[in-house]
Amino acid sequence: MTTPIELNELTKTYGSRRGLAGLTLTVEPGEVFGYLGPNGAGKSTTIRLLLDLIRPTAGTARVLGMDPRTDAVELHRRVGYLAGDFVVDGRQTAGECLHFLGKLRDGVPTARIIELADRLELDLSARIKSLSKGNRQKVGLVQAFMHQPDLLILDEPTAGLDPLVQQTFLDLVTEAKTAGQTVFMSSHIMSEVEAIADRVAIIREGRLVALDTVADLRARSFLRVRLTFSQPVPAEQFAALPGVTDLTIDGTTVTCSIDGSPDALIKAAARHTITGLHADTQDLEELFHTYYTGEQATVRAA
Amino acid sequence: MTTTTRPTAPTTTIPGTSALARAFSGSLFTNTLFNNRRIFTVWAVATGLLAMMYASFYPQISADAMTNVPEAMQGFGFNDTATAAGYLQGAVFGLLVPLLATFYGAATGARMISADEESGYLDLLLAYPLGRTRLLLHRYAALATGATAIAATVLGAVLAVRSTANLDTITVSGFTAQALHLTLLGLWFGALATAIGAATGQGRATVFGITAGIGVATYALHGFAPQIGAEWLRYLTPFHYYIGGEPLRNGFLPTDAAVLAATTIILLAAGAWRLGRRDLGR
Repeated sequence: MTTPIELNELTKTYGSRRGLAGLTLTVEPGEVFGYLGPNGAGKSTTIRLLLDLIRPTAGTARVLGMDPRTDAVELHRRVGYLAGDFVVDGRQTAGECLHFLGKLRDGVPTARIIELADRLELDLSARIKSLSKGNRQKVGLVQAFMHQPDLLILDEPTAGLDPLVQQTFLDLVTEAKTAGQTVFMSSHIMSEVEAIADRVAIIREGRLVALDTVADLRARSFLRVRLTFSQPVPAEQFAALPGVTDLTIDGTTVTCSIDGSPDALIKAAARHTITGLHADTQDLEELFHTYYTGEQATVRAA
Repeated sequence: MTTTTRPTAPTTTIPGTSALARAFSGSLFTNTLFNNRRIFTVWAVATGLLAMMYASFYPQISADAMTNVPEAMQGFGFNDTATAAGYLQGAVFGLLVPLLATFYGAATGARMISADEESGYLDLLLAYPLGRTRLLLHRYAALATGATAIAATVLGAVLAVRSTANLDTITVSGFTAQALHLTLLGLWFGALATAIGAATGQGRATVFGITAGIGVATYALHGFAPQIGAEWLRYLTPFHYYIGGEPLRNGFLPTDAAVLAATTIILLAAGAWRLGRRDLGR
């Protein structure tokens, strides 16, 4: 099976502004790949390079084993694309639009379009320009999924969708994965891809800063602990404990992060009367923010 | 309990699609025509009505003939109102209709590539199995259909008043020839705007402004060239090949038409060439 996406030192500069700086990554067949980064990190630039909407300054991209530029038409037959802000001619109804787009793909079964629209609760007879952002996004989702492409490239697919529809979207992605389709989706929100992505890449300022499975990323995160005691505790008993960072003591409440075993903290706390214990893994969202802002190293060192 | 066999309605049509929309969904060309059906109709009907109105003024104008036309304006063709052909070549086919065709070309050409690139719709279309040159040609074909509709409506309108407005001295083939040249003029400015948009990626307003500006400038140049003793300058304007050979009197002019058609093809080819090589903008 051909590699869905293979980027090698892919670089795109806009004048003096850098869009993408030597990006190398591979997306494996059948996986759901989350592509994360803050706004302006180069997510859309990457996606538009994959689709030959823009051309790289240096480096190469292979998509489904093909050259995005020379094999564009053949490649686009096998790709479903949802843009970050999905735009079509607003003068037609959603149904007319999808009917036309289906024809542009040499015919998509009508039943398939209707089924997808039903599941997303999209009113096909509504005129596009009268639709809300979320409903317009549904049209975009239908057209991306309708021909069951080998590769789905989705740029911020859940933007504007309400939680119920987001769940339907997750179902669609899961079904696509089951059917052997590959999904490459970008987002600037971790929780959005956390639930379905096999692997996650994080980019910042046009560079890859992390590439791992969701499980491994999670393993890297700290445990956040909050202990409450019956009476105030001395700070020095907790300050020097191994693995404890971010310690704050506010009267009877102790909060800290633990990297590694919580044993030392528990033993230190056991000398006092504990009235409450709350422990949680660090929100992946927080972990991503540290990647986003480039402060991972300082957090570790703290 | 009886199982009711619900007739499985063959889901052949998508809800919310009219028969017309489905009939026009076969290609980007027909879909563009469908989405623009109202605006194209308005252009054709409005231009046709204006042409009909001004053509039917001829009896009054010719009654008080020898209307004083300033000498400086003679290059615009307003100096001869004594004959039907002279009058029509001045007010109707010399001013109103060609300028409307020019603005149709500029406005529509700016919408075919630029407007959709600006909105982001082009991103979607070009992520479909559709090459950039094909997209440009389908879009231009829709524009060409609209330009042809304008010329056909104008032709129908002037033919309708031909006898009542004493325009019988002009043959039907003369009117048809003028309408053909009008089509080519609209196509020329349509190609110019389409090509500027395709080549530069500028926004709709800019592309329209540049094309309309070129239209007005070349129109003025064509009109004033004789007065400034530089008749040859007329040959640099599309208007010369549109009306300079007087198709109303002389019929279809293959050489003039070929010049317009050839430059139209060159403009489109250059636009398509640049479009195929540049980044799509947002």
